Amino acid sequence: MSFVEVPHTADVKIRAMAPTLETLFSDAFAALMQVLYGPDRNGGKKRKITLDAEDQESLLRDFLSEVLFIAEVDGLVFSGAEIHIEGCHLSAMLDGEPFDRRRHAMGTEVKGISYSGLAITRDANGYMLDIVFDV
Amino acid sequence: MIDGVKRVGTNEWEVPIGFLPGMRVPGRFFLSESLGRTLEPGAIQQLANVATLPGIIQHSLAMPDIHWGYGFPIGGVAAFSLDEGIISPGGVGFDINCGVRLFTTPLEFKDITGRRDLVDSLFSAVPTGVGAKSSLKVSAKSLDDMMTKGARWAVESGYGLPGDLARCEDKGCMKQADSSAVSAKAKQRGVPQGGTLGSGNHFLELQVVREIYDPEAAHAFGLAAGQVCCMIHSGSRGLGHQVCTDHLKILEQATRKYQITLPDRQLACAPILSPEGKAYFGAMAASANYAWANRQMITHAARTVLSKMFAVDYDEMPLVYDVAHNVAKMEEHHYEGKHAVVCVHRKGATRAFGPDAPDIPLDLARIGQPVIIPGSMGTSSFVLRGTHTAMEKTFGSTCHGSGRVMSRSQAKKKLSGKEVAAALLLEGIIVRAPNENAIADEAPEVYKPSEEVVNVVHEIGISRLVARLTPIGVIKG
Repeated sequence: MSFVEVPHTADVKIRAMAPTLETLFSDAFAALMQVLYGPDRNGGKKRKITLDAEDQESLLRDFLSEVLFIAEVDGLVFSGAEIHIEGCHLSAMLDGEPFDRRRHAMGTEVKGISYSGLAITRDANGYMLDIVFDV
Repeated sequence: MIDGVKRVGTNEWEVPIGFLPGMRVPGRFFLSESLGRTLEPGAIQQLANVATLPGIIQHSLAMPDIHWGYGFPIGGVAAFSLDEGIISPGGVGFDINCGVRLFTTPLEFKDITGRRDLVDSLFSAVPTGVGAKSSLKVSAKSLDDMMTKGARWAVESGYGLPGDLARCEDKGCMKQADSSAVSAKAKQRGVPQGGTLGSGNHFLELQVVREIYDPEAAHAFGLAAGQVCCMIHSGSRGLGHQVCTDHLKILEQATRKYQITLPDRQLACAPILSPEGKAYFGAMAASANYAWANRQMITHAARTVLSKMFAVDYDEMPLVYDVAHNVAKMEEHHYEGKHAVVCVHRKGATRAFGPDAPDIPLDLARIGQPVIIPGSMGTSSFVLRGTHTAMEKTFGSTCHGSGRVMSRSQAKKKLSGKEVAAALLLEGIIVRAPNENAIADEAPEVYKPSEEVVNVVHEIGISRLVARLTPIGVIKG
């Protein structure tokens, strides 16, 4: 998994490169969890997400928005996700653990996944992503 | 200054039609030369993007704390006509009715003994940071009342004083709230978070009034030099965030349905009077009411701590005012020779209604609306008053804060939370936060100097300085 944080004055901008779309989504997911909860995250509790969207950008935005929702209402911190994408359909199995204030209060809340600056591009080497989280 | 931008007055700049294709009106922003050095081209692009939206009136505006956001620039203001205009979550943001309030105490700095204990007690009393949940149980019925009645629900539930309501923008309640337009998911997020601060730039600060610039206005607002006050910055929490997320999706489809061409998907919108536009506005207003109730509950927690520790009566801590700085409102304004109700979007901008404008408390009618501008945790915050000039130039709006100049990633690299906290302690400011990053992220160095920002709005006259306050204790989310 690889992503970097690109300087953005107000919010958190993430750039990721990956050979496949699934890995790219997984990187964006990992970046979101890192921003929210820091690095110390384990597995054990599973949650499933399936959704459809009209294009790849919407699919990613909707996926991460759903992750934000589940993490908050179920009080879960995720360490990994198995993601499958076919066209504009996504299914994902998230793996996480209950929020523990001593270990997981390391990050900052993400208010939303912005469309501004959201771009997924593809070249011969794979995919590249820019995405902004409102914090 | 950025290529293509024209100076049209002292501290006043124009982005002409044609700067971007499709602009319907010029952009207009307010900035001093020195603040101009921190202006990002992305923010001007966003200002110009807003100028392309249907039904925009006069100008796409930005205040001197303008910076690069998503959708509208932060500091952005735009009014839209009801018949031709649109409403967009991109002009409000995810944190609907993020706002600031200030209440006074009868205490002076010298009275605050055991300040460390006080800051710790406030930190325990107000749930802060990621994963924080309220200790107060809110039922589904109460949640509906929060969204319908706003701050009034909190006061009726025992979390405040009846007099607090008159000192809130819109009396702490947008009457157009429609909780049926708020999704079950948003409601689920709202239930456990009433009275929580959140994280990022949200805070609760103990401050001291250091300087009075306008004695008459300060007296009317209840402010006196040397007095200890409490400032609270928070919003509509997960409920508002989910409302924005949900309605952006609906409005994306509406954008296509109504054949609106957009330069940025985050500006997804619908005609104000369309079913989709009305649904967003109703849900946004319900979220705004939740935010007012939330700030009222935090106020209650802080007043309770102060009351216990210093034998101060709860009702000796009146509210100066509560302002929203991420919101869309239906307001009557005078423009192009007519009076009309328009939809004003303020995204990181504060309402600053002048004397005798509607919705100003009767006892402040001659003075103008109190405007509260938070600084960063090491710098001054300010109270200003709204003006007639704001009504004429900016649809009754002014700045909302300092505006960031350094990204969070740079802040983490350059600054350590421990060192920032130690430096603040040297200046007599005690900081508590759930983690060190939260302190580094919000260090004074990452913001424009708050003095420079408020000086610009004061000099242009879109609000006038009343008082300056400095922090002595900070709770960060």
